[in-house]
Amino acid sequence: METPELIKDGKRLDGRALDGLRPIRIMAGVLKEAEGSAFVEWGGNKVICGIYGPRECIPKHDASPYKSLLKCRYTMSPFASLEEHGRSGPNRRSTEISKVIREAFDSVVMSGEFPKTQIDIYVDVLQAEGGTRIAAIAAAAVALANAGIPMKDMISGVAVGKIGGQLAVDLGKAEDNLGESDMPIAFTHRGKEIVFLQMDGKLTPEELSRNIDAAMEASDKVYALQAEALRKSYDSEGGQELEM
Amino acid sequence: MERIVLPGDVVWEREVFASGTWVKDGITYAKVPGMLRDEKFIPLEMAYRPKVGDNVVGIVVDERNAGYMVDLNLPYNGVIPTRKVRISLRLGGMVYGKIAFVDEVGNVDIGEVDKLPAGKLITVPASKVPRIIGKKSSMLNQIRDISGSSVFVGNNGYIWIGQKGNMQLVMKALDLIIRRAHTTGLTDQVAKYLDENR
Amino acid sequence: MGNEARELVLKEVNRELLLNLLAGGKRMDERGPNDYRQVKVQKGVLSTAEGSALAQIGDSKVLCGVKYGEMTPFPDRPTEGVFMVMAEFLPLASPTFEPGPPSPESIELARVVDRGIRSAEVIDTKSMFIEEGKVLGLFIDLYVMDHSGNLTDTAALAAAAALADTKVPRLEGGKIVRGDYTGPLSLTDKPVTSTFIKVGDKILLDPLRSEEHAQDCQLTVGTVDGYVVCMQKSGSGSMTKAEVMGCIDIALEKGNELRSHI
Repeated sequence: METPELIKDGKRLDGRALDGLRPIRIMAGVLKEAEGSAFVEWGGNKVICGIYGPRECIPKHDASPYKSLLKCRYTMSPFASLEEHGRSGPNRRSTEISKVIREAFDSVVMSGEFPKTQIDIYVDVLQAEGGTRIAAIAAAAVALANAGIPMKDMISGVAVGKIGGQLAVDLGKAEDNLGESDMPIAFTHRGKEIVFLQMDGKLTPEELSRNIDAAMEASDKVYALQAEALRKSYDSEGGQELEM
Repeated sequence: MERIVLPGDVVWEREVFASGTWVKDGITYAKVPGMLRDEKFIPLEMAYRPKVGDNVVGIVVDERNAGYMVDLNLPYNGVIPTRKVRISLRLGGMVYGKIAFVDEVGNVDIGEVDKLPAGKLITVPASKVPRIIGKKSSMLNQIRDISGSSVFVGNNGYIWIGQKGNMQLVMKALDLIIRRAHTTGLTDQVAKYLDENR
Repeated sequence: MGNEARELVLKEVNRELLLNLLAGGKRMDERGPNDYRQVKVQKGVLSTAEGSALAQIGDSKVLCGVKYGEMTPFPDRPTEGVFMVMAEFLPLASPTFEPGPPSPESIELARVVDRGIRSAEVIDTKSMFIEEGKVLGLFIDLYVMDHSGNLTDTAALAAAAALADTKVPRLEGGKIVRGDYTGPLSLTDKPVTSTFIKVGDKILLDPLRSEEHAQDCQLTVGTVDGYVVCMQKSGSGSMTKAEVMGCIDIALEKGNELRSHI
């Protein structure tokens, strides 16, 4: 198969500039039962997140007398990909992603306020087009705030990478598959601390440094949309009606 | 002047101890979404933490030697200690009481317990309860007066509505308060709503 | 508190109230006994699936995704395609849903929806033959996202709407070409279900979660225009013939109302 040219005349396959984000739409408080929730449409990704807790820790022997146990379950729906029908439920990939997302939020959630309990972050990827973990993080931060779970800071991130020899922000699926490097990264908004970082590919330290700077700048744009979604949830009457 | 503040935002450039905020290096930050109005921070969402003296509505879920176990919409059930129970309660029965004791991990004892008859139990975000009650119970009293319903509000987010009177009107009024909890002149808005829909 | 104990307590909390309300001709909300809550259907919400829909009845929300695949046919029907319905009760949909293997409730829901589609013969499985030993498979996945009562009707509506949205993929050399379609899936009808609960001697359509907690038993009636295509009684109570026949009449009428939203 012929590899398409990922960059042509400074534009990417979908016409974006190298530092351009895909269109992002965020809604807060879209579910009735969950204590906090968010829906994120990010390019071709559609992600829903629901929060429960602080609630009874199960199994009981996992409970900490000092803090709430943060749990995260990220899964991909069987219809999330344009390719064949997938298997539902967790697998090795989703288990790893669940773990690192949980650890990202462990650094901001003030879990010491709720000893012996657990807080559940459930994220389901309904439709995937590259960058689902970053969309999941955007959704989880909004859903946690919507649930009133105390946090020191908000979290937002983006995937940056190298395609056609150049640094690019917010890789889509084809860019992720065919590009040279992919690096999803997330920061606390105010502190700009890195709370989530994965990387594959082959980059020089200089390239990595530029990647991080570009990701920081793009994450601020994502944060602005997260904040807008939360503010908007107080304008609307009767919460946000889920528009998929 | 009012604005919505999000977790991590600076609320005051000085040290202030207020609900829904935290302090680091002499600066006060929000830890939950809140409304900053006239230099006052009002949390808009906040997971409930029980305090001694809070009024609570609960459901009796178990009977043990130590007393009755009561679901309080909290991670763990509260207890009505046997030695303090003067009334007999049944599983699934609803009660209204006051938090008498909270330990460091959030275990709760309930005192001054009254039994509530069959009625509608609804759950609301605990962060909205102060608005539902209003200043000196002004909001709650007007709902009770116009609906003709008996209404008991727990700080824990459980609300019991009696069967007499206009139960649906009470539920709609509560829904209105929850949606507009961050707006000003809420008592008047609700008075108008109750009057138009009575 | 375990879920079973919680259900018992919630039954106790809701039952006496609902019985009293019903005696006065009311239910937990302002509806009549045979009214649906507000129904809303959004079709074509997923671009990765060949068909999709989000159905809402009141605050209950079910997303359905339909995917085609290539499969080996069942030995007894070597020239017919295969379809299957699966349901996931997402843990974010209710505080009582836990991650883990499918619950009996989620399996029951998927099978009831499956039976409606199967008995109504809405899908022409013969048209799904590719070549000897190879047929098209149709995977109908129900994602329960918000549980405010009556998941069955919400799920059946989502499935019917997603099927109505489904496009048949083009085949090339016996293989599916993803993202390329020959046209819409031809359907003979839109099967939906209507679910009733019995509380004391009263029957209510489209129960809220709190009404389900108070129920004696539940009856689901699946319909296409003029016909009943599946039924399921669940819960430990019982119903009389007259009650069942009464539900059937209402289900046939309300089924058309639900279909109008697709």
